[in-house]
Amino acid sequence: MILGLETSCDETAAALVTEGGEILANVVSSQADLHARYGGVVPEVASRRHLELVTPVVREALGDAQASLDDVERIAVTRGPGLIGALLVGLSAAKSLAWARQLPLVPVDHLHGHVASLYLQPDPVEPPFLCLLASGGHTLLLDVADHGGYRIVGTTLDDAAGEAFDKGARLLGLGYPGGAEIDRLAREGDPEAFAFPVARVPGLDFSFSGLKTALLYKVRELPADELERRRSDLAASYQRAIVRALAERTAAAAEQLGAEQVAVVGGVAANSELRASLPGAALAPLPLCTDNAAMIASAARYVEEIPFARYLALDAYASTAA
Amino acid sequence: MLTLAFDTATSVATSALVEDGRTLGERVGLAGRLLEDVNDLLVGADARPTELRRIVAGTGPGSFTSLRIGLMAARALGFALDLKVAGVSTLDALASGAPGALPVIDARRREVFTLVDGEPVAIGPDELSNSLLQGRICVGDGAVRYREVLEAGGAEVPPDDSELHLPRAALHARLARDFGPAELVEPIYVRAPDADRVLGR
Ligand SMILES: [Zn+2]
Repeated sequence: MILGLETSCDETAAALVTEGGEILANVVSSQADLHARYGGVVPEVASRRHLELVTPVVREALGDAQASLDDVERIAVTRGPGLIGALLVGLSAAKSLAWARQLPLVPVDHLHGHVASLYLQPDPVEPPFLCLLASGGHTLLLDVADHGGYRIVGTTLDDAAGEAFDKGARLLGLGYPGGAEIDRLAREGDPEAFAFPVARVPGLDFSFSGLKTALLYKVRELPADELERRRSDLAASYQRAIVRALAERTAAAAEQLGAEQVAVVGGVAANSELRASLPGAALAPLPLCTDNAAMIASAARYVEEIPFARYLALDAYASTAA
Repeated sequence: MLTLAFDTATSVATSALVEDGRTLGERVGLAGRLLEDVNDLLVGADARPTELRRIVAGTGPGSFTSLRIGLMAARALGFALDLKVAGVSTLDALASGAPGALPVIDARRREVFTLVDGEPVAIGPDELSNSLLQGRICVGDGAVRYREVLEAGGAEVPPDDSELHLPRAALHARLARDFGPAELVEPIYVRAPDADRVLGR
């Protein structure tokens, strides 16, 4: 079995996955509460917490799977992209565990991990497909030809979709993380109440910064009592604008590439309106939408492993090479 | 009893393999390559990871990121090999290299980590009192960087290439006392994360 580790942002995660893609354990320790008071992820705070949590989540995953380190045949770890200090904690753990046990190590690209959340049992999605990856850190359209990787065909020029949700939530006085809060409030509101602009950028890219500014102006412009009364309408309209941008671009990309299958992964894939507005799309199961280590172990099945002791100088990377 | 010691808190990562007080090998490298040094040490001693009995880790203060690389390694190795771990402050290890020495670690932002009344602090090198510096030997990468300031305060700083400036892991192995569960070995950060300063915590 494969032991996966993921520490690229604010989730400390460990998972055990079989070579066949069956999840034996999937432990995610979210730091969301810790970062809530800052209104976003603070890298140094995240890194400090990872150091405390990595061995406990590994122990818990082994316990859940009723396994021991003796049963682990390979160790998979997120190498990037992400917060560099946070990645280095997970990488140090993975190297140390693999070296101590004389096991091979599999370095995994975090984005490949998100895509590979679709390859897990019981309902694995088979490539080729067009994949929308939308999370707090990324908004990407990926052309996935096979299990081994992806090709980026569209990306956000400014904020990630999840960031747009978080920033919008803050403007509306909602909690963090903002996606779930807006999703909840939007259900009580009218999505057509306000017209927020969906930025038209060339190609298959996204832009969400104008949307956030439009919401800011609207919030400033409304009298306090009306703002309070219409918060759900604002949330619903704002969410509609983000979802529409994601759905339209995804549809355009699918047409342009002739993709017969569309899939959605990442934290924003948990959004109920997005799920509804892409009928027929393959969706990652909810627990696998946000960052987790099962997806990292899953991707490792399609990545060449580095044999024992050849990975000891391996470094992490903060961003995807252009 | 085979003991592995390392310290990644400063600009160099030091490691040592010690058997019953005898140093079998030492390495000076980079935090990101710590495990490579460790592997070389064991290969050099013809030992396997499973023959290790104890781990000693430098607990800083120093660079947050590189300090964590070492402490994470200590925790993961302790877990994987079922070893007891002890932490030794990087300042204490440096100080033990020369009798009466004052350890001075570069803390960036025009500050150093040092010991004032036995407590680790972050302080501007020019804020160190002459009574603290007078006649003391200052060691560490902070002492090298702020040599002029420290010497003006009456301290003595060994030549830049002196080994006294290195927190050699063999020193940690000698100082280590309380061995226990790896997760009880905590980093000494001294400074709060920047975001906490903004919030006024
Ligand atoms: Zn992610």
